[in-house]
Amino acid sequence: MNPSSASHIRPVPRRFRWRLNATSVITVTTVSVLVLLALLAIFADWLAPYNPLQQNLIKALQGPSAQHWLGTDDLGRDVLSRLIYGCRIAIIAAAEATAIAIILGVPLGLFIGYKGGWWDWVVMRMVEAIVSIPGIMVAIVIIALLGPGLHRAMIALGILFSTSFLRLARGVVLAEREEVYVRSARVVGAPDSRILLRHILPNIAPPLIVQVTLTVGAVLLAEAGLSFIGLGVQPPNASWGTMLNTAAAYMDLNWFLAIPPGLAIIVTVLSVNLLGDVIRDSIGRGIAVGPRSETATASTDTDVPAAGAAANPLPPREDEVLRVEGLRVVVGEGAGVPVITDLSFGISRGETMGLVGESGSGKTMTGLAILGLMSAGLRTTQGSIVLNGKDLRTLSRRQIEQVRGNEVAMVFQDPTTSLNPAFTVGSQIAEVLRTRQGLSQKQAWARVVELIDRVGIPRPEERARAYPHELSGGMAQRIAIARALSCNPSLLIADEPTTALDVTVQQEILDLFRDLQDEFGMAILFVTHDLAVAADICDRISVMYAGEMVETAEVGALFASPRHPYTRGLLSAMPHASDRNPPLPTIRGNVPRPGSWPTGCRFSNRCDFRIAACEARVPLTGTDRLVRCIRADELQLERAS
Amino acid sequence: MFRLIAHRLLALVPLLLIVSVLTFSFTSLLPSDPVDLILGDTGTQEQHEMLRERLGLNEPVVVRYFQWLGRAAQGDLGTSFFNSVSVTSAVMQRLPVTLSLTFVSALIAIIVGVAAGIAAALRPRSWVDRFATLGATIGQAIPNFWFGLILVAVFAVSLRWFPATGFTPISTSPWEWLRSVTLPSIALGLSSSAAIARQVRSAMVGVLQQDYIRAARAQGLSTRRVIFRHALTNAMIPVVAVLSFQITVLLGGALIVEQVFAINGLGTLAITAVRQQDIPMLQGLVLVMVALVVVVQLATDVIYGLLNPKARPS
Repeated sequence: MNPSSASHIRPVPRRFRWRLNATSVITVTTVSVLVLLALLAIFADWLAPYNPLQQNLIKALQGPSAQHWLGTDDLGRDVLSRLIYGCRIAIIAAAEATAIAIILGVPLGLFIGYKGGWWDWVVMRMVEAIVSIPGIMVAIVIIALLGPGLHRAMIALGILFSTSFLRLARGVVLAEREEVYVRSARVVGAPDSRILLRHILPNIAPPLIVQVTLTVGAVLLAEAGLSFIGLGVQPPNASWGTMLNTAAAYMDLNWFLAIPPGLAIIVTVLSVNLLGDVIRDSIGRGIAVGPRSETATASTDTDVPAAGAAANPLPPREDEVLRVEGLRVVVGEGAGVPVITDLSFGISRGETMGLVGESGSGKTMTGLAILGLMSAGLRTTQGSIVLNGKDLRTLSRRQIEQVRGNEVAMVFQDPTTSLNPAFTVGSQIAEVLRTRQGLSQKQAWARVVELIDRVGIPRPEERARAYPHELSGGMAQRIAIARALSCNPSLLIADEPTTALDVTVQQEILDLFRDLQDEFGMAILFVTHDLAVAADICDRISVMYAGEMVETAEVGALFASPRHPYTRGLLSAMPHASDRNPPLPTIRGNVPRPGSWPTGCRFSNRCDFRIAACEARVPLTGTDRLVRCIRADELQLERAS
Repeated sequence: MFRLIAHRLLALVPLLLIVSVLTFSFTSLLPSDPVDLILGDTGTQEQHEMLRERLGLNEPVVVRYFQWLGRAAQGDLGTSFFNSVSVTSAVMQRLPVTLSLTFVSALIAIIVGVAAGIAAALRPRSWVDRFATLGATIGQAIPNFWFGLILVAVFAVSLRWFPATGFTPISTSPWEWLRSVTLPSIALGLSSSAAIARQVRSAMVGVLQQDYIRAARAQGLSTRRVIFRHALTNAMIPVVAVLSFQITVLLGGALIVEQVFAINGLGTLAITAVRQQDIPMLQGLVLVMVALVVVVQLATDVIYGLLNPKARPS
């Protein structure tokens, strides 16, 4: 932890604070609604202004008035009173059906999950059969058996919904029974019932609570539906469903009758569902203990884009394809937190430049920034990216789509995820050729086979029809390379293209890059954390650290005499065949996150050569090779050997 | 593809058998004696015995099951206890009605759900997303039959754009058919479109973060092409997987929504059958519905296989 980061902890990011409030507002509101519902149900006798069954035919079908706040129904009964008594029915219905579902489903699910075998097979087939019948039809058949009425309908719904509790309990048991603590309890001879109760039951609680909220909402809707079609609560008793049944018959005379019970159902179900969402999210958070989003922390700008920044432009190289100048990438709104600062470099035709650094140094992001494909929230705010004479930063979306593929293409780290799993590999290359170069289906396919052959895949016609999951990693990466080169781009960005591959395959892919570069003559920006790979393929290497370039040199010079302490650290952390015995030295600490960079030299808190002057911003200096260290000249950093 | 269909068909046979056993044994558990139900208190002991013999009720349950199954396999689902009509013809007569509602509402649910889901996923946390998410949450809390009542009040009673009740067969007049199924299908499809929208949103948000989306854009493919071809094809895989469940829900919901619009479909048949404890009718209804669900499952399985090459049997 660097000392300055303490001051960054205090401000809670805005967005997080807002979400916390939204969640608690939802929780408070939904709980209040449900408590109100419970109070209405309990104190219905005192709260309802009229007897819900008291008829008054003279006053039938009246709209809202001072005497009857919500009007009267077809028999002149007070709608408000019936609505309040309906709360009672709703709560009884939800409680009854859910309780029956749990009592039937959980023990049976535990039992078959634990026993397995024949029991499990038979019960699960029956559950599948029940689930494949529309739920309301299952309830109707059971009601045919038991007869209509609130409690019988709730038994029917309880049986129906027990299937989800059964599957839930079974699932938890299947997951837990193989856990070490359950197996060891079995080994020491604990009886089955005891294992089930003590070890498995507690693990069911969280998903069970979530399932209960889901079930309560569904039961309320189903009860209303059954009462509506006359198979649930029987008249004259007041439930929201039966009230709607009445309303349906008198829609043309008094449509308002449908509003109060409908809103009562919606508000109740909505509250239960929203509360369920909150519970599910909080349980989910409890399980997934991971690092919080890092991007939103603090926003102290440690970068000083002083005169020194652009004052040291690299001399343009011969035959340059790409020139990046003073690039700055930030995350977040407003000024944002800088992620890449003052980045300048150029690549010539036929040259391979390596971009090397630990994860978090900003090297992958540099590649994506060139293509304009950074993740949401990231954007370039300064500098220029000139490719073949055009500044990509100034192009419209349509214009940059024209550049992508044709002039610059990218090969990604993991070939198994960078190819679309839904399409054959050949069709993915053909799509590029057809949409970008206007080739016909036939021409495109011929070219696809040619390209696949060119990247060294045997039987290209056959492989073109394969899906990505049918290919090995190395083969898939060859396909990805073929696709990237299909429109003959002048710049190829390769983002760790060998990292996800087997070591033996890595070398083949590197050789392929070299061969293709000889043939196509494109410039390659090769992003890697692996110095051995960089040494193998690159002509020139730039070392990145905490969003800025700290050293650039020809590959031989860099390895022979690194000038930045960080470069030296990286080199000495490389394993060598020659020295087997000494443990590999490591650079202590980690790359500081954006937003918590030291104000001066960003490597200073990990550097062995730090002095007071390192507290100030350090410019990139030098002519043919560049280094960002004020002590570079005085320190003679030789390759540690 | 034929292998996939054959594979799935074979797997569905046992399901149908189990359902038939379940429904048969359930309905055989009915507390009242069908002979008493049909004849009531009237009729002599002799008439009771004759009817019992005619209905085959003197045979053991297992024998009756196999007789029933054998006839069902040939399309004969028995005869109603009450009006001596054939269950098959009664069900077949109402089937187009309920199927119309289910089909049109599924279409509405898929179109609205997928469109809203994509719109929300393209700009997470934007007002479009918040609006769609809020709408989906509320949509899932609204009872379909209540929504139907409101639609009737507004669009049939007040505006008179659509008929308030009844059903016109498509063979009579396709236009009137469409008018008669529009309101019930919207009412029915609301909560499913909400559920589908939620699914599409979460699947789409996940897919849009995948490397192959960025890779497709890196090749210069247009945004529209990347979203609708590369992302949607993959995002629909989990959605299709639960689509058959949603259609099952719609089929069940149709039974209730029919009542709002006084449409004479399977729902009315089922409710009458329950009230009269008409066993053969209930058995037939359940079996036909499961057969429908099975067909839908088969169709979604095939689409799933088309979308997801990993799911095809090799």
